[in-house]
Amino acid sequence: MWDTIIINPMTNLLLWIYDVLGHGPHMFGLAIILFTILIKVVTWPLNASQVKGAQAMQELNNDKDWQDIQKKYAKDREKLAQEQMRIYKEKGINPFASCLPTLIQFPIIIGLYQSITRALSITPFDMLKLARTIYPFQNVENIIPLNSTFLWMDLGRPEGILQSLIHTSFLPNGFPLLALIVALTTYIQSKLTMPTSSNPNDQSAQMSNMMSIYMPLLLGWFALNFASGIAIYFITSNLLGIVQYAATGRANWSNLLPGSKKK
Amino acid sequence: MNTKRLVLISLLVLGALILSACSGSRTVSNNWHGLAADAEHAYVASGSHVYAVDLKNGNEVWRYPAEADTKLMFYANPVLTADGQLLIGSAGTAHPFVSLNPATGKENWAESFTKGKGAWLASPLVVNDTIYAPNTDGFVYILDMQGREAADPIEVGGALWSAPVTDGNLIYIASLDHHLHIIDPASGTSSVSIDLGGAAPSSPVVADGGVYVGSFASTIELIQSNGSHEVIAKTENWIWGSPVLDGETLYYADLNGKVFSLNTSDGSQNWEAAQSDAVVAGLLVTADQIYVVTEAGNLVALDRDGGSLWEKTVGGKLYSAPVISGELILVAPYQAEFTLVAYDAEGKQAWTFIPEK
Repeated sequence: MWDTIIINPMTNLLLWIYDVLGHGPHMFGLAIILFTILIKVVTWPLNASQVKGAQAMQELNNDKDWQDIQKKYAKDREKLAQEQMRIYKEKGINPFASCLPTLIQFPIIIGLYQSITRALSITPFDMLKLARTIYPFQNVENIIPLNSTFLWMDLGRPEGILQSLIHTSFLPNGFPLLALIVALTTYIQSKLTMPTSSNPNDQSAQMSNMMSIYMPLLLGWFALNFASGIAIYFITSNLLGIVQYAATGRANWSNLLPGSKKK
Repeated sequence: MNTKRLVLISLLVLGALILSACSGSRTVSNNWHGLAADAEHAYVASGSHVYAVDLKNGNEVWRYPAEADTKLMFYANPVLTADGQLLIGSAGTAHPFVSLNPATGKENWAESFTKGKGAWLASPLVVNDTIYAPNTDGFVYILDMQGREAADPIEVGGALWSAPVTDGNLIYIASLDHHLHIIDPASGTSSVSIDLGGAAPSSPVVADGGVYVGSFASTIELIQSNGSHEVIAKTENWIWGSPVLDGETLYYADLNGKVFSLNTSDGSQNWEAAQSDAVVAGLLVTADQIYVVTEAGNLVALDRDGGSLWEKTVGGKLYSAPVISGELILVAPYQAEFTLVAYDAEGKQAWTFIPEK
């Protein structure tokens, strides 16, 4: 089921882009970048809905009625929940609007990772699975096996540079440049999109703050340990996310510097 | 709100665990078994260990390494040499190429060969006390019989998954780069490369003045030693396993499950025999029978005219070519209850082997 709905279409789309690009060196990396752009375009309405939802929730946190019911029913969680639902209805807010799009995108990330590893098929068994994945219209004989070279990377392996100088058990692949870029762009994106709050007890803002630290570390760890193809996806996705958010005019650039005063 | 964010974080952690379950590095963590046999033992390369199995009763004689090492994985067909070595390389995160004593499983060389940058999925070829070991990094490494580098490696290109073959003068090696490469051992260079139109995952078979090779282009090509080549047969699907030449008859199979017999003297097809499932492995041809293993886990015996003699359900999936030793037909099923199963020529099961944990 997962294969039929997620892995097979994604793998075929990746391979089709790779074939159109001419299936030479560096082309699988470009295919991942183009694939990411395509995913971003397709999920654009979801992202816009997420931004809108987050904004609405943020405004709600600064709303006087909302703050009043938090204080009034602090010890009665059931009543508080009822009142919250009433305000959601009154203001036409879907409390899951900011969260749901992220959750929907998560299978895409997992699917992409599995598609990349399947497409690169490093063992005979993987290759056999790939053969069963490919749709009949693909020019399969020509494109298999994929050329996994992209710039200085092998997209099927974790990335690292200066391996001859830096080689420890913690960094077996050398200096993890891509992992750092992933962490940095994730940090920038999360900080830019982080909503501001004037309420010091705003748990949502506290949680967002925590996420802006947690997510760069998590994705950086992925990039450090997993195939560099997934790091290419993360970086492209983050950069597009930053551009998309900046285009709305809501990007909070002052958030980028630690300790800076929030506008 | 709080609950919502916690759910999100929990899902992210779950996602991290799911991704962690996948192999991130290019560790070859899943593949079918490698198999070889001599008169006394079968040798199964089955992931963490290479096992020597007593052909008399299916008992384990030794395993290498004695304790599993997460950096070592073995999947290539081990190769027995004339001077009593068993050669195999690791496809794990560490890539030592080792020589074992077939009787004891102890390492022969003072140091294993570790210059290969990729996995050892292919078996080596031993010619005139020289080991030609193909690696997935696209190089053929040249070693002496003590495991020392005897000459500079030959860059062939593409991942090398199959053993080279020799006609006594030249070395032929199929590559995933869609080419069959002809190497002159005297000069140590790849002199001729023939485009096959698709990746070639298995070894060619030596013929008079050249080789036959199958590929993902769904063709069998005859390659002459001077580089001239012609397609002599086409199939409906990929040809994965090595063809087998017996006299003037060439046997091969495709992923559609069709087994073919071809008369090489005039290029005519003798017969084809359809199986119920894909045939990935090469065939085993004996004096009076042809053994076919199917992906669905069946071992089928055909007569020399393609007629079915008997069929046995082994279980799991059969991707490794069957091997014969004395009276026994050995098959190594993948994702199965047993790691190795032995049958006699009538299809009666002799014994099974399951490694002890």
